[in-house]
Amino acid sequence: MLAGLLLGIPILAAILIGIAPSRLAKWLGLLGALATLGWGVVFACLYPYWSEIPSEGADLAGYWPVDDGWAVIPLLGLELQLGVNAVSLLLVLLTCLFAPLVVLASFTAITERVKEFYIWLMIMNAAVIGVFIARDVITFYTAFEVSLIPAFFLVAIYGGPDRREASFKFFIYTLFGSIIMLAGFVYLVMRFADSVGGWLPSTNGGVNVWDIDALTTYAREFLTPTEQGWVLLALMLGFAVKVPLWPLHTWLPLAHNQAPTAGSVNFAAVILKLGAYGVFRFVIPMVPEAVVVFAPYIAGLAIIGIIYTSLVCWAQTDMKKLIAYSSIAHMGFCMIGLFALNPIGAQGGILYMITHGLSSGALFLCIGMMYERHHVKEIERIGGLMKSMPVWSFFVVLFTFVSVGLPGLAGFVSEFLCLLGTFVGSTENNGGYPGVLGPWYGIVAGVGLILGAIYMLYLVGKVVFGTENIPEHDHAHESSSLPRDLNLREIMTLAPIGAICFFIGLYPTPILEAIEPAAEHMLTAYPELVAEADQRQAGDATLTTEPRPTLVSTTWGDLP
Amino acid sequence: MLSPTLATLMTSAGESIPGGVTPIPEAAREESLAWAGLILLFPAVSAIICGLCAACRVRNRLPGWTTVIALASSFVVVCLLYGQHQAGQPTVIHLFDWINFSWGDGTFESVRANFALYVDDLSIFWMLFVTGLGTCIAFYATEYMDDDRGKGYSRFFAAMSIFLLAMCSLVLGDNLVMLYLGWEGVGLASYLLISYYYTRQSAIDAGKKAFIMNRIGDLGLAVGIWLIWYNFGTLEYDGLFQALNVYLPIADAGNLPGTEIGQPQLGWSAYLIPWFLMVGAFGKSAQFPLMTWLPDAMEGPTPVSALIHAATMVTAGIYLIARTYPIFWLEMEAGGYALATVGWIGGFTALLAATIALKQYDMKRVLAYSTLSQLGYMFMGLGVVQTFGACFHVYTHAFFKALLFLCSGTIMHGLAGQLDVRRISGLRMAKGWKVVTWCMFVGGLWLAAFPFTAGFFSKDEILAQAFVQKGPGYRALGWIGIVTAGLTAYYTFRVWFRVFGGRTLRIEPGPEHHGDPSSFHPHPPGWRMKSILILLTIGCFAAISTGYWGIGHWIKGMVDHSSAAWGMPLHWEEGDIPFFGGDPHWTMYFVSGTFGLIGLAFAAYFHLINRRSAERLDELFKRNFITNLIPRTLERKWYLDEVYNALVRIPTYLSAKFFYLFDRLVIDGLLVGGIARIPMFLGRVFQPLQGGALQGYATTMAGGVTLVVVWMIWVFLQKGGG
Repeated sequence: MLAGLLLGIPILAAILIGIAPSRLAKWLGLLGALATLGWGVVFACLYPYWSEIPSEGADLAGYWPVDDGWAVIPLLGLELQLGVNAVSLLLVLLTCLFAPLVVLASFTAITERVKEFYIWLMIMNAAVIGVFIARDVITFYTAFEVSLIPAFFLVAIYGGPDRREASFKFFIYTLFGSIIMLAGFVYLVMRFADSVGGWLPSTNGGVNVWDIDALTTYAREFLTPTEQGWVLLALMLGFAVKVPLWPLHTWLPLAHNQAPTAGSVNFAAVILKLGAYGVFRFVIPMVPEAVVVFAPYIAGLAIIGIIYTSLVCWAQTDMKKLIAYSSIAHMGFCMIGLFALNPIGAQGGILYMITHGLSSGALFLCIGMMYERHHVKEIERIGGLMKSMPVWSFFVVLFTFVSVGLPGLAGFVSEFLCLLGTFVGSTENNGGYPGVLGPWYGIVAGVGLILGAIYMLYLVGKVVFGTENIPEHDHAHESSSLPRDLNLREIMTLAPIGAICFFIGLYPTPILEAIEPAAEHMLTAYPELVAEADQRQAGDATLTTEPRPTLVSTTWGDLP
Repeated sequence: MLSPTLATLMTSAGESIPGGVTPIPEAAREESLAWAGLILLFPAVSAIICGLCAACRVRNRLPGWTTVIALASSFVVVCLLYGQHQAGQPTVIHLFDWINFSWGDGTFESVRANFALYVDDLSIFWMLFVTGLGTCIAFYATEYMDDDRGKGYSRFFAAMSIFLLAMCSLVLGDNLVMLYLGWEGVGLASYLLISYYYTRQSAIDAGKKAFIMNRIGDLGLAVGIWLIWYNFGTLEYDGLFQALNVYLPIADAGNLPGTEIGQPQLGWSAYLIPWFLMVGAFGKSAQFPLMTWLPDAMEGPTPVSALIHAATMVTAGIYLIARTYPIFWLEMEAGGYALATVGWIGGFTALLAATIALKQYDMKRVLAYSTLSQLGYMFMGLGVVQTFGACFHVYTHAFFKALLFLCSGTIMHGLAGQLDVRRISGLRMAKGWKVVTWCMFVGGLWLAAFPFTAGFFSKDEILAQAFVQKGPGYRALGWIGIVTAGLTAYYTFRVWFRVFGGRTLRIEPGPEHHGDPSSFHPHPPGWRMKSILILLTIGCFAAISTGYWGIGHWIKGMVDHSSAAWGMPLHWEEGDIPFFGGDPHWTMYFVSGTFGLIGLAFAAYFHLINRRSAERLDELFKRNFITNLIPRTLERKWYLDEVYNALVRIPTYLSAKFFYLFDRLVIDGLLVGGIARIPMFLGRVFQPLQGGALQGYATTMAGGVTLVVVWMIWVFLQKGGG
């Protein structure tokens, strides 16, 4: 029930909004979102990491089953279970945090079809939380796909002028990726079921073949390298579209740009994290032998993405698109951190999911607030807002520096760890820690730091600073009740994110400590594998060609 | 590869090598000194208060005074800490965890970068003048920024506090990541303060340029930090120094660590560390080729130019190298040229900037280029293994350059923004400008290294060492320094003679004056500005005694008890290389003093005694194209901005535009759009099959059945026919 409520509250809120009159919709939405957040916080406090330090026997790395399985279709052996570990818990908290903020940000922006809007927002929250708390493939995949639907409608109904194209492209693009991912899952589960002797726990000795952890252990141990390679490609395609990894990114700028503020914020803050979370949850722990081979290429794509999209950002004329492209670059840092395959990069990559959600989401919120007042997104058409909107300007500058990774703010810790992990992940030349990337990857990706400063300061220099330039037709919208600068509601929307950015930037220790076991869990198979790969790279002839001994004790007796 | 190491030097001198280097002492962990964290806390609190003042639109002087009090308190705490400090014994004071995790017990199995202070003589020395000068300049700014109350006053002081906070963590941090925090933090403060007049396009551009150019340097620093972890598995100074304690004696004995079996292993990439750290230092301290941001940074309010862009922040590069000097030393012992490069880049920048300063008309720009030039001297000092000289020069420079900037600030303030030396003359005769006149005169003398001033001693310490230390072309480097000293004296007094000299008072008001220029009267500085000018002048005099006479070798003691001198061989004594027939440390006084006086004399002739002759000389140059190139090139700053624009900015921007189009047309248009058309295309192909004609359906069905049957037979045969 504990975790089930995380899904239940937003769904309940959606139903309530549906029943109640539409003038109450936004208040009910806010209430539902706040309830979700509140329960998320309570839930987090119940997590044994905090409640029982030092907890004996609590396997923090593994998934803490907060709910017993619901035997939904017992005949098929489908036992759905929900649970979290530190990483998914943090992502759940991120989703919960943005739920009320997004509602607050839409109070005046959405004036038509209000009811539906908040219903879709609530469903979106439920779906995304579902992805993070899933313990089996079916729940995971279902929630992963369901999250598309509210996103689709949010863009298609409430979006900008190109909303039809944007929503269809987004939907079909990501669906295309996830269908292939589904094929990968199906293969894995079938293979597992074949090995253990069937779907049914009654026939195969009580093994839940859908369980992600069991599946991970199985795949890691018994899949041949070739199979691992194919599974990696299939899963990675689905997740890479969501991350997004260059060159599968073109749906994102369009969708971000056309979506209403709430949609853009949700995209940036949580939807992109689904891909990175998938990499963390499935790709890296499941198919280690393939990952060791493919990691340099995936990291290569991520680095191309960092440089390429950072440059594209600089040439943008539209603010929202600029931030959207910057998300691609940032998620590239997250990817290289994860694929550095060492604890430093893993911690950095995991933390990056959170910090990117904060900075990018907050910047979209800021732009949305400005857009509500001036109805302009083109960088050239507006400028010098510092004079008329000093509070807004403060937040923009703050989140800009979070985004460029200024030390002391959230972005830095994760970015630094990602790059450090990437850089030192190579044992050539007597140093570093085993890894398959290495100094060159770190240095080239590091150029992204410079480019990041260039495009973000370009944006700030044009929009925040400079001589005041507010478009003429502004006066036509004078009727809107918004004051010139941010009102209290909007400040309340941005201030929590700012506070969290400072907190993570100055005192990330609790988070780093909490995600450490999960990061180690993700990397269970790696120290040996990576060291081997390193030696192979260095052309070490003494490398044994014997098959690698199994890493974890076999749970399923003597399987093929 | 022959190394310019002392080991070789000693061997060639026929002496035996006693071996051994000064070991780097292990830091003591003192939890009881946690109150030292107040040094960081005061500016942080002040920044928050100023921020709140900005949010509440406070119109009084509260933010200004808060900042002054906070910085003064920090200074007091630094003094108390100095009282507690034992010379030569570094102390680590752990405040709280920052990035701190491990996944094993080995060396390469943890990442530790906490908020902890590394207190040794070097950091205390730096902190003393940073917080001390910071307080003075904040006090000065309370008057200077008075007109901005209610506009940017709170913002200004918030940024000042952020700057001091960042600078303190840069200097005091016990690990390289905290240094990086301060490093970027001062960059942020600098960006915010340069763009302070945010409606001015030039100010925004200058701020952006400063931040981005610094970011280029920061990447170098970051790579250096990563390389340090890569090779030593630690990010903390103490861990790094203890690791180096193992390698330095081996290197000193003439072996490369890692080349012989049984020795501790050290990969070659360890020798790249100094090169990357150097890039970071050059970015922050505005050395060639990352120098062009500093003159533009003069767009900020003058107190900022004095504090950040002259006295403290730009010396962070010197601090970085002095702090990590053992790594540079190791690289040099291994036969590398990192230190030589530092010295040469410094010397080159010193000369380059001095030549540019000759032809600048904006007073603050002249001072900015003189800062570049003086920073060049400091790097030269580091390069020629004269860390004491470099740090001493940082110290004296901080006083006289702050004084000069604050004087020019009073001029700018009093003359409605006028800074053009051609448009001011005889200011000494204006009412109420006596203090400024003579304070600036003292600052000028110190900058020009007039004999027996502090600048004279500190500069000569460096120049003399260039003739003592053996290294690639160090004698030539020394001569470059001497020539630059002459140029420095010339351009400094060119400004002073132009502005304060002259027979009559003649002033054109600056752009901030609205109304009839003839009715303009410069308003002299008030007591707060004046008192700080006088205080700094006293400081300039005190700098002589603290560094040289009187209190004796106070600064030398500080520097020698720190990482700027640790790790050097015990047996190192200076060689006996004569310079003009004597010990360079002695003869240099006469040589550089002479050059300085010559420069001064030229300035006096052209800009005080016979100003017509300067104009005639100018006309002479302008007469034909070839000779006109010289003044024009200097005025245009050797076209460095244009060259960077053409070589870096424009290509990058063009590639940005190219990728922008590539993304739209190729990736999105051709690839994604193309793949998206495949289903549509397939649909077109199979459309006729569902046209509704019965024959069509029949054909399709027949075809399908045939295919299925063929497939079944094939499978059947494959399985062995039974």
